[in-house]
Amino acid sequence: MNIDANYVAYAFLNTAFIILISPLFMGVAKIVKAQAQGRIGPPLLQPYYNLLKLAQKERVYSNKSSAITKITPYINITIMIVASLGIPLAFAPENSGGLGNIILLLYLLAMGRFFMAAAGLDAGSTFGGMGSSREMSISSIIEPITIIVFAALAFTLNTMDMHQMFQTAAQEMSFLNPALILVSIPLFIVLIVETARVPVDNPETHLELTMIHETMLLEYAGRDLALMELSHAIKQTMLMAILINILVPWGYAREFTAPAVIIGMLLFLAKGIILATFIGLTESSMAKMRLFALPNLFIIAFFLSMLTILLEVFR
Amino acid sequence: MITAALAESLTQALVVLVLISGAFIVTRKDLLSLVSTYQMQSLLLAGVALSLYSVDQSPTLLYLAGLTLVSKVLLIPYIIKRIQRKINISRDMEFHYVSPIASIFITIILILLVYGAFSNILKELALSNLFYLGAVFGISLTLMGMLITFSRKKVITKIIGYLTMENGVLLFSLFITELPFIIEVLILVDLFMIVLLATILSIGMDSSVEAYQERFHQLHIEDLQEKLHLHRKHRGES
Amino acid sequence: MFSSLFLTGLFFLFFGALLPLLSVRSGRYVRTATLGFTAVAAVLLLVSSAGVFTGDVQEEIASYNVSNALSFSFALDRLSSFFIIVISVVSFCVAIYSAGYIEHGGGNAKRNILAGLMNVFIASMVLVVASTNTFSFLFFWEIMSLASFFLVMYDYEKKETRKAGIFYFIMTQLSTVFLMVGFLALYQVNGSFNIEAMGSASQLMTTAIFLSLLTGFCIKAGVIPFHKWLPYAHAASPSNISALMSGVMIKVAVYGLMRFVLYVLGPVDWWGILILVLGTISAIFGIIYALKEHDIKRLLAYSSIENIGTILIGFGLYIIFQAHNLPAIAYLGLAGSLFHVLNHGVFKSLLFMATGSIVNATDTRDLEGMGGLIKKMPYTAALFLIGSLSISALPPLNGFVSEYMLFAAFFSSNTLGDPMLTILLVLCLSVFALTSAFVATCFVKAYGIMFLGLPRTDACANAKEAKKPMILGPAILAALCILLGVFSPALLSASGYGTLPVPDLMLVGSFLLATYAIIWAALYHSYPNKTRVGATWDCGTPLSSRTQYTASGFSQPIMRMFKATYKTKEIPERTFYDKQNSLFRSGEAKVTLLKFFEEYLYMPVGKKVMSLSIRVSRMQNWNLDTYIAYAFVAVLLVLVYVGWLI
Repeated sequence: MNIDANYVAYAFLNTAFIILISPLFMGVAKIVKAQAQGRIGPPLLQPYYNLLKLAQKERVYSNKSSAITKITPYINITIMIVASLGIPLAFAPENSGGLGNIILLLYLLAMGRFFMAAAGLDAGSTFGGMGSSREMSISSIIEPITIIVFAALAFTLNTMDMHQMFQTAAQEMSFLNPALILVSIPLFIVLIVETARVPVDNPETHLELTMIHETMLLEYAGRDLALMELSHAIKQTMLMAILINILVPWGYAREFTAPAVIIGMLLFLAKGIILATFIGLTESSMAKMRLFALPNLFIIAFFLSMLTILLEVFR
Repeated sequence: MITAALAESLTQALVVLVLISGAFIVTRKDLLSLVSTYQMQSLLLAGVALSLYSVDQSPTLLYLAGLTLVSKVLLIPYIIKRIQRKINISRDMEFHYVSPIASIFITIILILLVYGAFSNILKELALSNLFYLGAVFGISLTLMGMLITFSRKKVITKIIGYLTMENGVLLFSLFITELPFIIEVLILVDLFMIVLLATILSIGMDSSVEAYQERFHQLHIEDLQEKLHLHRKHRGES
Repeated sequence: MFSSLFLTGLFFLFFGALLPLLSVRSGRYVRTATLGFTAVAAVLLLVSSAGVFTGDVQEEIASYNVSNALSFSFALDRLSSFFIIVISVVSFCVAIYSAGYIEHGGGNAKRNILAGLMNVFIASMVLVVASTNTFSFLFFWEIMSLASFFLVMYDYEKKETRKAGIFYFIMTQLSTVFLMVGFLALYQVNGSFNIEAMGSASQLMTTAIFLSLLTGFCIKAGVIPFHKWLPYAHAASPSNISALMSGVMIKVAVYGLMRFVLYVLGPVDWWGILILVLGTISAIFGIIYALKEHDIKRLLAYSSIENIGTILIGFGLYIIFQAHNLPAIAYLGLAGSLFHVLNHGVFKSLLFMATGSIVNATDTRDLEGMGGLIKKMPYTAALFLIGSLSISALPPLNGFVSEYMLFAAFFSSNTLGDPMLTILLVLCLSVFALTSAFVATCFVKAYGIMFLGLPRTDACANAKEAKKPMILGPAILAALCILLGVFSPALLSASGYGTLPVPDLMLVGSFLLATYAIIWAALYHSYPNKTRVGATWDCGTPLSSRTQYTASGFSQPIMRMFKATYKTKEIPERTFYDKQNSLFRSGEAKVTLLKFFEEYLYMPVGKKVMSLSIRVSRMQNWNLDTYIAYAFVAVLLVLVYVGWLI
């Protein structure tokens, strides 16, 4: 593996871009939800204010917790940033740097989850335990669907590397490829599940019925909480990017020049806002599902992803 | 003007969507959404016929699309929705033999089975890939319809199952068989359906098959048998 | 040169076995010396086998004739030397660990016997792998079984141990029976006991031999449905022995399978499918059963079943892709499988040893009686964490590399050109993905409940960190977990698999480290750097060890979602004051899980055998006249046979 100047430039740009825009998508989804409920909602930039506010506050640790609680926020943000190198948002350099592998990406995310769930158990609170138990269970049973979706993508686009996938999708512009349309539905469900949104979880609260993701963060305060929330936002943007850049790759920068990159970024931002709006609308139009009714949702996603494989194989 | 390649991929997408609607019907419990899904499925089928027409230019396809639109998108759902409003049931929570999750797995296996079986049967016909897919999915949809009819308890869901079966036959016929013949089959199946609907309507369809059988009991068919039985027993003892 | 090193290593092992057995009553120094011999022997074996492995040479070791037809003969080639590398690495660390561990419990005699038998056990495993004919293979296979049986029975005073030991013994003998049948059939075909490519035989014969050997090896490897002995035996035996059995012994069975399928029988594609499906079933059920366990050693044992499944998946993929003429992908499967053999040996022994330290410190194997140990045993906690991360296949540790190779092979299944087979592989892929997600869940549970939160018992609150050797042994393995992962590209190319497309974990690791360092450095001194320590948020109810989440609570959602597999029954029993069931008086609720294989497979078979043996034992009535009558009938039968039937 050779890291050239292009790759370094890409690494900095991509990382800065994803960190900058991730909270925005969170904010958009929030506003849409508020509007759908007849409220005005927070200002668009509220997530940024929140992060800044949290960053300036002191950190509080439980007297029961151990080093796991302290290192988890750093580990989490590290993993998200390294994983995001594998997902070029608006442009992909010639050499993918070996980080674009989808299995690697999946397992990096799994590592983040491992530490988060462990931190949930660390303080000895029932909330955290319940959150990590449910998070691990749900993320486990969504895993077969994720892997089949990725296998379908790999079959269709003929590579396991995210960079090459995006490039192929941008070249072919095959938006009427039934396999890709089909696979986008389970991919969207995976996105909803992984980012802990309605109908799986509710990002607004940590009441009993939705005690999944938020409860694991209950013991965090100040800068640590800011890091955790930022990494969650980055994770959401990464998954959104997979959906966007494979389904609607219009305007994806095909060469590494300043105008192409800027157009690519702006277009990605626009597409991301539309997708975030759609996520907000989906959330508003659904009720939270019971935890044990979730397999029904997942099984539909499984069917769809399996159907994509059938289409690919029978072709 | 639609190019042939575009029409082909459009048809493929529509066929896949038809199958997905089938899978939806297999798992949904909510009766209202079942009917709307059925409606959507019929609309998609009409779409398939139209997009095939854009390649084939055969007028039968156009008639077929019109027929489907009128009968299955408008008429039948309208009737079922009216009945639904009358009987006031909104969900079918009961499943026979298989749960929704199991039936999805069964569906996947069904598709594979049909594919495997057809790869032997249809080899001589030398079909293009799209037609092959349509045929396989058509038969799969028919089997899924059957699955619905035997796995649900509420009569109204069973009807949806029958209707799905019939849609499967239509899908198959669009891609494989001679059309005039299949129209006859369609009418036959539709007739069967109407008879069934009529029977159920006359007896009442507010609940499950068990209740339906009870209605029969109320016609004293079984009472009579019992009386006869008692009578014989009595004579035997004396 | 390698053969003399190898023989010296064996000599050390034999001497190490004799020393404590000859001076059973002697004190600690003998045991420590013995374990020192084991460590030296392991190093010698490691050097010789690594030389053979990287040099790609065939090394004859020795041959001793017993009679004209039967002989013991040993040699090393790439396959066997690889397995000896695994054996020696694990044995080395276990020997170090045992120097501390062995001093707990039992008297001098017991401890000495344990140390001596351990050497016999290790030597027999090495010799099974090095055997070049079926006679010496089976001979040392039996020695291995016997030695491990005695080691399992270490705590024979306990009823649970005796049950586990007997169960293990019966199953392992069953495995020998199947192997013996297979070997005799091979002799019939080949006319010699040598392990060599089989001569021409009918399709039926080959299939029969394959199935017989497969069954034999699967029993020993603990593949579902032959797995039942494994959780009992691993839980009952001392932890260092569990580490050896789980890390190494079940791999010897995998070695046997690979050796006979690849070198003797010559695989056919449906064998690959069979092995793949067996592996997939083992993997998913192994981990599903592990999830429900809260006996930590049994949890690890079930997880071993899962890992054996993973190894078989890789082997099955190899056979399938090889049969379809796709060697590049096939080698991905084989390399993944073999690398997983090494990786599992490393991290599972690590986990068993760390668990052993904890069980010693807290005196319980029950997860529900642990908690908060990270503060009492920080080193062991760190080691267990590395093991857990590694077994959950998280990058950049070693577990990820082998699982990645299997995933990559699965992802190429659309090149097979057989739609049905591709779909089967995709289904197996989805199950495999579910398995590896469950592994992470399982080890979050194990780690979180054991080490985090509040201590649930007094023993746990007063636990002491383990002694130095008990940290050093697993620490070497923990370092290996990291090194084998980070240096995987170099290792793969050193072993001739350099062309395989595996992500560069060195790069990933350095990216992770650099990013972490940058973030930490940027934030560490930044304003405001104030921290405060407070109580855990408790909603006003004081927290105690009883209010935190339990191990069973943790896995409850999965148990409920997979009700059908566990046959979970929730039985709430309530009594009421009134007839309308509205005034609650008292109640009791329990959740039962069916032991599917035990109740539907093992018990019925066991009952059949029992009733048969009761019938047979009636013939044995302690009456001399009856026995003479039997002899009389037997002689008559022989006469009839000789006179008329020949």
